[in-house]
Parts: sequence; C-alpha cells; structure tokens
Amino acid sequence: MSDVSKGEIIISRTYPTIGLDLETVVQPGLFNYPLANGEKAALLANRCRSCGRTFFPKRSLCPECFVDGEMEEVKLDTRGIIYSTTVVTVPSPAGIKPPYAYGYVDLPANNVRVFALFAGADPRTFVPGQEVDLVVEPIMVNKQGQKVIGYKFRKVL
Amino acid sequence: MRDVFVTGVGMTVFGKHSDRSLRNLGYEACLNALKDAGVKPREVEAGYCGNALAAALQGETGVGQNAFWEVGISGIPVVNMENACASGSTALREGWLAITGGHYDMVIVAGIEKTVMPKGTPLNVGTAELETKLGDIFPGFFACIAQKHMEKYGTTREQMAKVSVKNHYNGSLNPYAQFQKLLTVEEVLNSPMIADPINLYSCCPNSDGAAAVILCSEKYARKTNGRSIRIVASVLTSGIYDSHRDFSGFEIEQRAAKKAYEMASLGPKDVNVVEVHDAFTICEILHYEGLGLCPLGEGGRLIDEGETELTGRVPVNPSGGLLAKGHPVGASGVAQIVELVWQLRGEAGKRQVKNPRVAVAQIMGGSKDTDTKGCTVHILVKD
Ligand SMILES: [Zn+2]
Repeated sequence: MSDVSKGEIIISRTYPTIGLDLETVVQPGLFNYPLANGEKAALLANRCRSCGRTFFPKRSLCPECFVDGEMEEVKLDTRGIIYSTTVVTVPSPAGIKPPYAYGYVDLPANNVRVFALFAGADPRTFVPGQEVDLVVEPIMVNKQGQKVIGYKFRKVL
Repeated sequence: MRDVFVTGVGMTVFGKHSDRSLRNLGYEACLNALKDAGVKPREVEAGYCGNALAAALQGETGVGQNAFWEVGISGIPVVNMENACASGSTALREGWLAITGGHYDMVIVAGIEKTVMPKGTPLNVGTAELETKLGDIFPGFFACIAQKHMEKYGTTREQMAKVSVKNHYNGSLNPYAQFQKLLTVEEVLNSPMIADPINLYSCCPNSDGAAAVILCSEKYARKTNGRSIRIVASVLTSGIYDSHRDFSGFEIEQRAAKKAYEMASLGPKDVNVVEVHDAFTICEILHYEGLGLCPLGEGGRLIDEGETELTGRVPVNPSGGLLAKGHPVGASGVAQIVELVWQLRGEAGKRQVKNPRVAVAQIMGGSKDTDTKGCTVHILVKD
C-alpha cells in the first residue's frame, strides 16, 4: 500500500512469523514502489506551479516564489545524462559492497540534477555525457537482513 | 565595529590520542593559549567551542563547558558550535562578533575533536542525508569534483599528488603534525584507490586534537603579551544548494573570499601566507582559485610552478594542512589560526615563511544537495 500523494510509501510485505519486513525503501517518497500492474518506476519530485522549478528530493516551498501550497508532485523523466561519476573501492558505511559507482545525473526534461548509484556489472564504465535510464532495485541488504530498495541509473544500450 | 586581536594561541599535537578525553585535549590547548596570552582564567568573559562529532562518536555534549572548566574558566557564557569541518572557525567568528560588537573585551575560542576510529572507517557525509544512505562518502563526492576540474581545465593526477607531497614536506617540519613522513608523487599515485581519482594519500587522516585562541579588544591587546595579531576580516557563508552548479569551483567560497577581501580592504595579491581546507588534494587546488591566488582553472599550474611551497610566492598550508597535520574536524579551523599567528609573529620554526604580513584562513564543511553547508574566510594582519 502506498499513498504517494502524502509523499510516503508504506511497504506492507510482512513476514508473519518474525514480524519483520523482507524489504524496505532507502527513504520514503523518493520513487513509486511497489509498482502497480503495468506501472513504470519513476523518481518523484516536487514542482512549483508558479515557476515550474522542479526539486528532487522534494522540498516544501519554492524559494523563488515563496508561496505555500504551490508544490505539485511530478514523476521525473527516466532518461538522463551523466554529469559526473566515481567508482568507490572501499566498503561504504551504508553497507554497499565495493566496487560501486555513483555520481550525478542530469534529467534534461525536468531541468534537474540528481545524485544516483549506477547499475551494471562493471562499475568502471560510466563516464560524463553517457545516456542512462532509471531502475528501481535492491542496493544492499541492511543489518536487519532486509533488502533495501533504492534507485540507480544504468547505461542505455 | 571594533578591532579584534588574537593575543594567545595554543594547540595539542594532532594525531591519535586514544588514551585522552576530549576535555583533556581541550585543557592542554586552552592552557597553552592562556599562558601564551599571559591571561588569567578569570579575565575571560565568554567561551566558544567548536566540535562536530562528539555527540555522535563519544556520546558527549557541552564539550566547551567541560574543557573550559578544566582550565578554571566557568560562570561565563559558554556556547558550543557545530558547523561540520567549519565548527571551530564558526566558533572563532562568534568570538570575533562578540568583541567587535562591543559585548566583551576578552574571550576564549577552542576547537576540540576526536575522530580516530578503527582503521579504514571513512567518516559519514551525515547519516541522515539521502546521499549517505545511497553510499556517498566524502572522498567520492570530491572525486566527482576532481573529475569535473580535470575535464574542464586539464588538471592532472600528478598535480593533485604534488599537493600531498608539498603538505607532507611542510608537516615534516611541524612538531604538531600527525604525519612526519615525506611522500613522493609516485607514492601518492600508487597508494590504494578509495574513490577514483582520490586515493589514500589524497585524503586527510582521521585525527584527535584541540586548538585554542584568546581574542581581545584593542585596549587589552596593548596590555597583554605585545604579540597580538589583528583579525581584519571574518566571514561565514552557507550554501545556495543549486544542484546545477559547476562542480569545478565552490561558489560558496568565492563569495566568502570576495566579502573578506572587501572587509579587509585587501586583495589576493596582498596575501603572504595561507591555510586552506585540504581535506582532499583536489580541494587545495580549488581553494587557490576560490581565494583568488590564481585565476580559475590555473590551480594546477600554481602547484606545478612551486608558488605555494614554503619558499614560493604565496605559501599555502605551511603547517602541513589537513593532509599532513591531521584533521580533528571541529579543531581544524582554530588550528589554522594558531598556525597563521605563529607565522605572522615569526614563531613557526623550521617551516617559517619569510616575513609574512597578511594571512588568510579558509575552511568549509558539511555536504548538502551538491553544495557545502558552510564556509569561513578569516584574514589576519601583523601591524
Ligand atoms: Zn517557484
């Protein structure tokens, strides 16, 4: 069950015997998950109705327009272009196994730049200027043994 | 606005102090600063303490009260400041504000921190930030920045490595530095990769340590030790968090530097010695440009030509910087001032820069939406 309009996603796949969810999202409200039948995964942003500026992650107020209640939720375009990248070769404090790649992706359709992990067998193949698209998938297993669902960008083949 | 002077300075050796408490490190730094100033604890009217991580790492709050009490300073207003790596320099600015605004004539400013953790534990970018939850680490963020600087200006891995080589040389001349070891460009380039192109010797270490300064008004500066150094600019900025910003420079720093030079009625050409926030080698190159020591994009050339070496046109990080002196997060901003006061007084020993008159300190901290949360620039002048 999810109530995306309130910017929150509630995962209710409870494992009945121990009462622990099998999976969790990295942060509520970032993307639509779980997906309804035929629904495509997308990052969820806030757009200012007055000036059109888009914010990801969402913010409550457009600093330019300063009008309360003017934000509307929008799904971001799933296609992006890599702005910068790195490959991390040490274990992440968050629990992601090295090597892993991340960086910043520009989404021209929404005029927004997002921080993102990169998906794919070889993390060393991402370079600025490359076309990528969104995937929502597990990014690690947390200390409670739950799969943590996050978002990544992968190369457009 | 009244003039403000640094009249006393002190610090501990930076490094691993696993057997010492925060207050014990703070005690040593504060005692040294009081003795250097020739000031008694009861003469101090207010205290400001920078610390970034004690609540998270040691479960301790109110670090300032604890350390000041150890040197006999109590009863007065004490404020604890957290502004990430700029915690200490933010505390300095609060002390400066209080004196320049006429509220006090004598205050103490300390930066105290312990961040040494089991080997190979990188510091978080802030566990509550989305980027951290998605695996971002500080070296990785600066790797993305390095990539853009290399792409736009042709900056090379060798140029970045030279920053580490220079600062380790300077650190080897500084008895307060964590590392006393010389490095070669090859050793830096061949050190283990952390987040390409940032490798181990491109990163500052985790460190324990404390630094303290005594600030006073002009009236008291004449009465104390006669070795006071004037603060002619103190600026703190925060980020604008424009995710479209050009990663090859720090707008937050360029803005802070411009304000500081205006406040001091000085320009980059007047500067004789500098301490910058070289948490990673690429940072020092960006700060050369952000502080106007060279035009944008020419930071690599500056290190190539030796202009920022101890004997160069404008020596940068004579102390060894964060890379070699160490980086006890909340203490670093105060330790920069300690070093620059020693340099301006001519008390810096083997690493003494020749006859400096104008000194600049820059440090920034925190990470949010591709930007930095805070940046301070201070300018000191020897009258
Ligand atoms: Zn707007």
